Amino acid sequence: MALKISIGQYYAAPSPVHALDARVKLWCVLAALVAIFCTSNAAQLALAVVFVAALLVLSRVPAGRVLASVRPLMVFLAVLSLFNLFFVRGGEVVAALGPVSVTSGGIAAAVLYTARFALALVTGSLVMLTTTPTQLADAFDRMLSPLSRVGLPGHEIAMVFSLMMRFVPTLADETSAIIDAQSLRGGAFDEGGPIQRVRSIVPVVVALLASGLRHADGLSRALDARCYEGGAGRTHLHEQRLGAREAAAAALTAAFVVLIALLGLLL
Amino acid sequence: MTSAPAPIRLSHVSLVYEGGVVALDDVSLEVARGERVCVLGANGSGKSTLASVICGLLAPDAGVVELVGERVCADGRPDLEAYRRARRSLGLVFQNPDDQIVTSVVEDDVAFGPENLGLPREEIASRVARELHRVALDDYAAADPSRLSGGQKQRVAIAGALAMEPDVLVLDEPGSLLDVRGRSAILRVMGRLAKAGTTLVHVTHFMEEAVEADRVIVLDHGHIVLEGTPDEVFAHGAELLDLGLEVPFAARLSQRLGLPWTCSEQHLVDNLCELGTVPNSQKSLMDRRPQHIKNVCELGTVPNLQVEHASFSYSGRARALDDVSLEVAPGTSTAIIGQTGSGKSTLLRLLCGLEVPDAGRIVVAGNDTATKRGRKAVRRVVGYVMQHPERQLFAETVEKDVEFGPRNLRLPSDEVARRVNRALELVGLAGKRDASPFALSGGQRRLCALAGILAMEPEVLILDEPTAGLDPRGRAMLRRVLARLRERGITLVQVTHSMEDAARCDRVAALDQSRLVAVGTPREVFSPENEKRLTESGLGIPRSLRVARELERRGWPALGEPITTDELVAAIGETVR
Repeated sequence: MALKISIGQYYAAPSPVHALDARVKLWCVLAALVAIFCTSNAAQLALAVVFVAALLVLSRVPAGRVLASVRPLMVFLAVLSLFNLFFVRGGEVVAALGPVSVTSGGIAAAVLYTARFALALVTGSLVMLTTTPTQLADAFDRMLSPLSRVGLPGHEIAMVFSLMMRFVPTLADETSAIIDAQSLRGGAFDEGGPIQRVRSIVPVVVALLASGLRHADGLSRALDARCYEGGAGRTHLHEQRLGAREAAAAALTAAFVVLIALLGLLL
Repeated sequence: MTSAPAPIRLSHVSLVYEGGVVALDDVSLEVARGERVCVLGANGSGKSTLASVICGLLAPDAGVVELVGERVCADGRPDLEAYRRARRSLGLVFQNPDDQIVTSVVEDDVAFGPENLGLPREEIASRVARELHRVALDDYAAADPSRLSGGQKQRVAIAGALAMEPDVLVLDEPGSLLDVRGRSAILRVMGRLAKAGTTLVHVTHFMEEAVEADRVIVLDHGHIVLEGTPDEVFAHGAELLDLGLEVPFAARLSQRLGLPWTCSEQHLVDNLCELGTVPNSQKSLMDRRPQHIKNVCELGTVPNLQVEHASFSYSGRARALDDVSLEVAPGTSTAIIGQTGSGKSTLLRLLCGLEVPDAGRIVVAGNDTATKRGRKAVRRVVGYVMQHPERQLFAETVEKDVEFGPRNLRLPSDEVARRVNRALELVGLAGKRDASPFALSGGQRRLCALAGILAMEPEVLILDEPTAGLDPRGRAMLRRVLARLRERGITLVQVTHSMEDAARCDRVAALDQSRLVAVGTPREVFSPENEKRLTESGLGIPRSLRVARELERRGWPALGEPITTDELVAAIGETVR
């Protein structure tokens, strides 16, 4: 079985969402996420759905790609909604089977929390799909630059983040190859008690660690050879410039947040 | 810009690693501007260390190093500031493409170096476009490098180094992890660079790649043992063999034919044509095909592996394998050839029961892989040597690693010991049982991993490019072990990029774009009728056959189907006489 790692996979497309300055994108998304988590009635939820759907269309990322990237968290989402369905009490009883009953309050909570979470997930994954790790790292770099003034390595943190994103798929491939190889030598990873399982994972972890060290060695050689000496004196191919697009994005997000707040106050 | 005459000057340089391993021993070397120098050596000869010293990443313990006009190291005392300045004018591309790509977008990766140099934005953009064009990857600027082939990744790495406009470009085994097509693309780029006057230092263990160089340097145990033009160096055939290297095919062949020494296949053919032949009026050599080839279909045995109309696709992607049928008889060896992405590795995964076909079926020693029980039985019969199997090594000693499989089978300890001994003996590592697998040489590490699989005592051994990334000595060791296994009746199925390896197998199966395009004995598969198709799908034919065809094209009588050097020498001898 190949490990399906889709976190942080960039999807290239010519869209205004892609072209947006990454810092502005991050701040806007942060604001939108807060607003989404504050939704509590049907009108707000409908507005949030429209907002996220519009974002999806604007970004030109196929819905299938977005779904694929949030799939691993879907199970969590399903469990969450079941919890709400059965354990939130309120309103009248809609259906009952023995000691288990479902109330209208439970249904409302299940729908609301699930929808909030799903919208948040889609928004979050859209950021990752429309922003290259380099852009993200650069954005973090600048957002963290105040840290450098107090002596914390803001740029280096961003660089480490970017390299991590770069190596996730590589290490995932190697992990699945090593798991295949060891299981063909009779290594059992899905049998026995917890201690046995932990022990059976050792041949994979050690081999992976050795491979990680080899990569680290190669990577440090590559960084040296390409004159990487930290953030000082570095220029950027993609200049992050704030323009009309960024202003429009900020305005739209602000309008969304204000509308959600208004709908909350009015209803 | 400094314009010193020689951008690289090393004098009496020595370097000792921790633990007293001498990597470089009194090396003196000058590389002139615009020169193309090739450094050859077996694993452990110090050639990678030399590459690191030349591109300013490693300071020696003794000696003087001058790089691009900067005296960076004198008598083992490095001048770190000078090193920093020098590095800005030195580029490096090395073996593993994955480790050299630092971002998730091709264009950003090429820009990484120039960004570090602090160049203005417009300049970076124009350099990125120029270098991507040079390595023929213009259309991939926005691509994700992890989705590219190894050869494409390596070209991204080269573009990234060139975008820094280095005075010297050092390439440390850039092709050793690539397939034939990837490697020849890299060589083409290097040829263009050399023509444009870029100073190149190329470290390799593929002798054929050295033929184009202005100068060849051969390292052994940190010493320069041979130095000169390719013709001069390769004239020392016996010495090179002793050093764990080999001579290019053309040189080997010209020596065996008693012709003037040459490293170029073209010259060799010219020489042969000048020699002139007696027009072969008696009978065509085509009639005298050697009759000793055993054709498995005629043996009348039950096949060990059966692939029946198998199709497979990884979730949501195009067909990786399309209606493939194949049979392998017990005790035979089969080579699977095909370009990267042709479905070879997928076929192997199906054969081991790691994947199940979407349509059709796979039967291994009577077990259908469609059921869980069948797959379990298959895993007891089949040993799978994945690409770079040394990556699966994990234990603290060779013995413990080889033991892993038999112990998982819960065999009694004397049986485990017997199997471990036998496997280590088979691969010739009996003397290394207490060593750490991580302390072995590249070739030995691979043999150790192979022993771990042999200790499972498989009837069928499935290997995915077993010689990839090994030096000539490692390749020879591995080939010897495989021959020994075949003598013991183990069925071998291997994916290979080497047509010469394929020619030595009983059967060859050629895949192209997920389909089986040819299957049969090497002579059948490499027949004149198939030649065009094989060449078109980027595979080509064995070198000796290629030389024979070229001779025939230039007016020689038919030479038959010499798929090995021995047969070619015999056929030519026959004709000339």
